[in-house]
Amino acid sequence: MEAVQVFDGGRPAVGHLVRLRALRGALRGSEYAWALAFLVPYIAVFFAFVIYPVSYGLWMGSKPSLYATLMNDPTYWTSIVNTALYLGIAVNLKMVCALLLSGFFMRPGWWIKALLMIYVLPWAIPSMPAFISIHWFFNGDYGFLNDLLYDLFGINGPAWLDSRWLALGTMITSYIWKWMPFWTVILLAGRMAIPSEIHEAAKIDGATGVRGFIHITFPMLANLYFVCTLLSTIFTVGDFNTAYFVTGGGPAFSTYVLATLGIRDAFDLSQPRLGVAAVITALPVVIPLVYLLMRKLKTAQVQL
Amino acid sequence: MTTLSRRSVLRGAGGLATAGTLALPHIANAAATTASVWFTQGFIPSEDTALRKMVADYEKQSGNKIDLSIVPYAPLRQKEVSAVTSGVVPDVMEDADFSFTPLNAWEDRLLDVSDVIETQKSQFSEIVLVGRRLFNKVTKQRSYYGVPMKVASVTFHIWKSLVEKAGYKVSDIPNTWDAYIDFFLPMQAKLRAKGMRHLYAMGLEVSTLGVDPLNTFYSYMIAYGGKGLVTPDGQLHTGDPQVKEAVIKTLTRFSKLYKGGHVPPGCVNWNDADNNNSFHAKQIINDFNGSMSIELAVIDNKEEYADNITHGLPNGNDGKPLPAQIGEFGAVIPKGAKNVALGKEFLKYAIQPTVLNEYLKGGLGRWAIPYPSVIKSDPFWLHSGDPHRLAYITETMVGPGIPLYEAYSPAAAQVDAEHVFQVAFSDIINNGMTPEAAANKAFKRAEVIFAQYPLPQS
Repeated sequence: MEAVQVFDGGRPAVGHLVRLRALRGALRGSEYAWALAFLVPYIAVFFAFVIYPVSYGLWMGSKPSLYATLMNDPTYWTSIVNTALYLGIAVNLKMVCALLLSGFFMRPGWWIKALLMIYVLPWAIPSMPAFISIHWFFNGDYGFLNDLLYDLFGINGPAWLDSRWLALGTMITSYIWKWMPFWTVILLAGRMAIPSEIHEAAKIDGATGVRGFIHITFPMLANLYFVCTLLSTIFTVGDFNTAYFVTGGGPAFSTYVLATLGIRDAFDLSQPRLGVAAVITALPVVIPLVYLLMRKLKTAQVQL
Repeated sequence: MTTLSRRSVLRGAGGLATAGTLALPHIANAAATTASVWFTQGFIPSEDTALRKMVADYEKQSGNKIDLSIVPYAPLRQKEVSAVTSGVVPDVMEDADFSFTPLNAWEDRLLDVSDVIETQKSQFSEIVLVGRRLFNKVTKQRSYYGVPMKVASVTFHIWKSLVEKAGYKVSDIPNTWDAYIDFFLPMQAKLRAKGMRHLYAMGLEVSTLGVDPLNTFYSYMIAYGGKGLVTPDGQLHTGDPQVKEAVIKTLTRFSKLYKGGHVPPGCVNWNDADNNNSFHAKQIINDFNGSMSIELAVIDNKEEYADNITHGLPNGNDGKPLPAQIGEFGAVIPKGAKNVALGKEFLKYAIQPTVLNEYLKGGLGRWAIPYPSVIKSDPFWLHSGDPHRLAYITETMVGPGIPLYEAYSPAAAQVDAEHVFQVAFSDIINNGMTPEAAANKAFKRAEVIFAQYPLPQS
């Protein structure tokens, strides 16, 4: 007993037991073993699929010389500019349009609901076949769009994928087409959660139409909109499919984003560490976004 | 009589344990009966059938088992890079492009397979042996890091019916480089006037994807006198005025063909299959493509097969024969392979002239066998009456040839992996650079890359 009493720098054994109890969550005897048995698989999965891959990735990209190589690669800088444009334009345009369209889909009527069903189809279909189809749709030589333009108006459409800015525009358009429905539905759900009494009271005070949107709807949706935009930005940093399947990074690497550059460096150049390093350079943007998101998610009430 | 002391017993036991530890893997390897082997999927089904037959024959003869994976070209490349990076590797794998083996030999990730090569060394063509004798930065010397199994070169492919529809005769096609290309250009307008809106004179691989754009660029560059861009000692010669002129001429030629509307605008984004597709869709009259993949895709369509013409390289503008760049594919054994002995035994079997010949003939000759003696002795290759095969094999195995630049230096493999000269073309088309400025920019990039792969000057 004496030995226990001097445990932990001489503090009394009672204090130690209390702390141990607190650590065990006030569990007793076999409860502790059961709790541990339930917990261990989750911890193992967490280590196997989160801690290990992330640590391995960071280890792969840990050599400073990799970053020197990246800085000397002109395609890296093109990819940085493209990623910034892609995030800045595509995400925000998509979210603004989704916000506006969610208002449209709030309107009553069976045909609005039917239209909503059709509208969400691009989101529902798998990305890869959708983007491959878009690639062929926009093919300047024999794509559907240019054939249609020729048949209807007798004009030869532009080579949508063969110059950097047109290809980047096509990529952004395809991204918005694919993902806007999802965020529209999310914002629609947010709108539906606003109590109708607030709108009715505002109407009595004369806040209808655009004024109602500015003074009632948007302030009540602002927090949700901001969280959605943050989430979407984080998703989009890692979006590989759109760039890879719509433009293939072409012409001449001019539409690469960081996600596709990482794959190119890893496999086409046979330098997996360089590929990981390319993706790691996105972390200074992603980590603050995740931090901001976590802080926002703590907000439990509507921000009026 | 020797007395056993405590120390000598301990020393003996330690020695035995060390020897046992070192010897065990080799004993295990020798006794292994299964090897995992990765190969590229063929362009036509008969290639895969022939490969499976070769493997089955080996299994029957040896009693061993080959765990064969046939993987499409692009995923195989990714699988192989992942394998050599992680160390979880098969026993044998076919290299999936021209850069993989030189770059990984340099990084000391592949096993020396000189003993495999040695079994047929007298059979292999010299170009092929040069192509697989690669530099390792750890051992600081060259050795054989790949077992060549198939070779290819790039030839022209023409729709005879389109040439005639445009009012020209195939027999009038000139036999010097620029005149050859120019011959097809006026046909475009004539065929468009007949309602073929999407028709272009030439197919031109100028994108930054795959190996076809590399073959195309270097063939033009060599035709314009730039063969010495990289020399067999692995040195880059961007300062050579003749090389510089050839690169500028090539870029100028490409940009004129592109800006003049003689090639499909989408060719800036073509992958290795897209020029084949464009040719088969009769969107282009003439295409420049490696191997016999174009012809073999229509071999069951007698009419189209006969309507195709395969032409080897014309002469240079000075009338002298041009060397073709000969690319070879084959097998490598990655470091960390568990059953090296069995993998090597399988490869020794596979490269026996009769076995390899049967395999490649089974693939309808899309790839040439790298054995000149077999090319001469087996009528399949040069005397079967097939005009396509005759033209292709003559260029690949009979005419003048040089290895790919990747053989000379891993830096060349890196230059190609980055598609440095294809980016130069894009700089002209998309960024408004002059061919000279674009060439200078590409040279600077190539010099930076070559500095990262220093080779001894000898």
